[in-house]
Amino acid sequence: MSTFIHRLLRLDRRIIFLLIGVMTLLPLLYPVGLPVYVSPEVKKIYDHVESLPAGTLILLSFDFEPGGKPELYPMAIALLRQAFQKNLKVLGMTLWPAGAGLAESALTQVAQEAGKERGTDYVFLGYAPGDANAVISMGQDFRAAFPTDYAGTKIAAIPLLANVRSLRDIAYVISLSVGFPGIETWYVYGKEKYGFELGGGCTAVSAPRFYPLLNTGQINGLLGGLRGAAEYELLIGAQGKAIAGMDAQSATHFLIILLIAICNAAYFLTEQARGRRS
Amino acid sequence: MSTEALIGAWVAVGLSLLIYSFLYKDNPFFKLAEHIFVGVSIGYLLTITYFQVMVNKLYLPMVQQEKWWLVVPAFLGLLMLSRFIPPIAWLSRISFAFLLGISSGIAIPRQISSFILQQVQGTIKPLVTLGGSRLTFTLENLNSLLILIGVVSVLFYFFFSVEHTGAVRRVARIGIYFLMVSFGAAFGYTVMARMSLLIGRLDELIVYSSATYGHATLVLLVAVIIGLAWWERGQRNTTNIQR
Repeated sequence: MSTFIHRLLRLDRRIIFLLIGVMTLLPLLYPVGLPVYVSPEVKKIYDHVESLPAGTLILLSFDFEPGGKPELYPMAIALLRQAFQKNLKVLGMTLWPAGAGLAESALTQVAQEAGKERGTDYVFLGYAPGDANAVISMGQDFRAAFPTDYAGTKIAAIPLLANVRSLRDIAYVISLSVGFPGIETWYVYGKEKYGFELGGGCTAVSAPRFYPLLNTGQINGLLGGLRGAAEYELLIGAQGKAIAGMDAQSATHFLIILLIAICNAAYFLTEQARGRRS
Repeated sequence: MSTEALIGAWVAVGLSLLIYSFLYKDNPFFKLAEHIFVGVSIGYLLTITYFQVMVNKLYLPMVQQEKWWLVVPAFLGLLMLSRFIPPIAWLSRISFAFLLGISSGIAIPRQISSFILQQVQGTIKPLVTLGGSRLTFTLENLNSLLILIGVVSVLFYFFFSVEHTGAVRRVARIGIYFLMVSFGAAFGYTVMARMSLLIGRLDELIVYSSATYGHATLVLLVAVIIGLAWWERGQRNTTNIQR
């Protein structure tokens, strides 16, 4: 027994990597379809988007780079599907230099699916350098911040932006954020001054940071990590990458909990631990 | 399928597998992928910054809209580069002073308003609800109570001007429990985030293992394993010779 416990505590970490890999791969290849429940903070964003009348202009800020793609890209796809289904007008942009490619890909993909046209139904503005300064600049003079869209078309020539002079002309902003700049930037330098409603999506690792903002109503909802994206996919009734990944997520979490429990039990059973306690 | 997409898929799979080879042990294939990543990231960032900032925000407004006053910020930006020339490095202080002054002026009031005043307001919420003519205690009130206890006890824990004995010690102890719960929640979310990254990567590797992409994942996985075995054999031979 003692030998087994000591061997367990000195387990080669590569065996754990292998176990995690297998537990992730199997559910992806053979999905079980474990249930996903919608949390109130996710429902609030869904309900807010549903409540907006057709033709309302919303801004989706893709504040992430490829590192945040697995969690935030499915959120972007789900939000865009809902927005286009509701006939909302969508402005896309990013505060991250490496986010422009991903953002354009998501917008183009969903717009094509929904039969929407660039310039009349949606516009992609591209990367706005300057972090907080970019948001402040958009609030003061939208056309000075973005003289052209991502494709180089002058803002004045885009019908969708004919009446947009400031962030005050946008009803709802959602920042899908992998870090700073992101949700906090939009809140501190945008919402407080220009009065639009703000929702957020973030990676799981940064989610605990945004719950205080949610609790005080500084943001009206929060999509946290892959789970948040899966819940949103469930709400719009379109299964995507996030729901497909939830089985794998649950399986790996189960394995990690099991490993923590076994290793703690093994540690407390060792003579070394007994000695320390005495 | 376009040739670009196919090449992109093979490159993505190859680099992912080279990076994952680190899970076996540190090896030259991992280092190669790591260096490519750093180089490409910096190159991409420089290119984007050049076109989006230098061209779109500086050159075009000056040339097309005759905003010649943009020479001033451009000059301040150039002064920052004087850091690389020791005899005139002091000039960069002018730009840094300007930058610090502007940033502080913009950020401090907004940060205080957003993260101190509004958060304090969110902490002090009603602990009972007035329903009709009588007071009730709802689950929302329980949340408010927990937040209040958590904030006060954690503040006590970080209050070092008074010795932690007696009642102060007991309150600070409660603060520690709240901190432990928050660390646990943060760690749980971190695990979830890391697993999501793995899921995203494996999902793409599964997609690229199909015949459409020329079984890129399977072919390159075999190639990486052979490469690692070859490298490992070379390492062992070197060790034996040294002995």
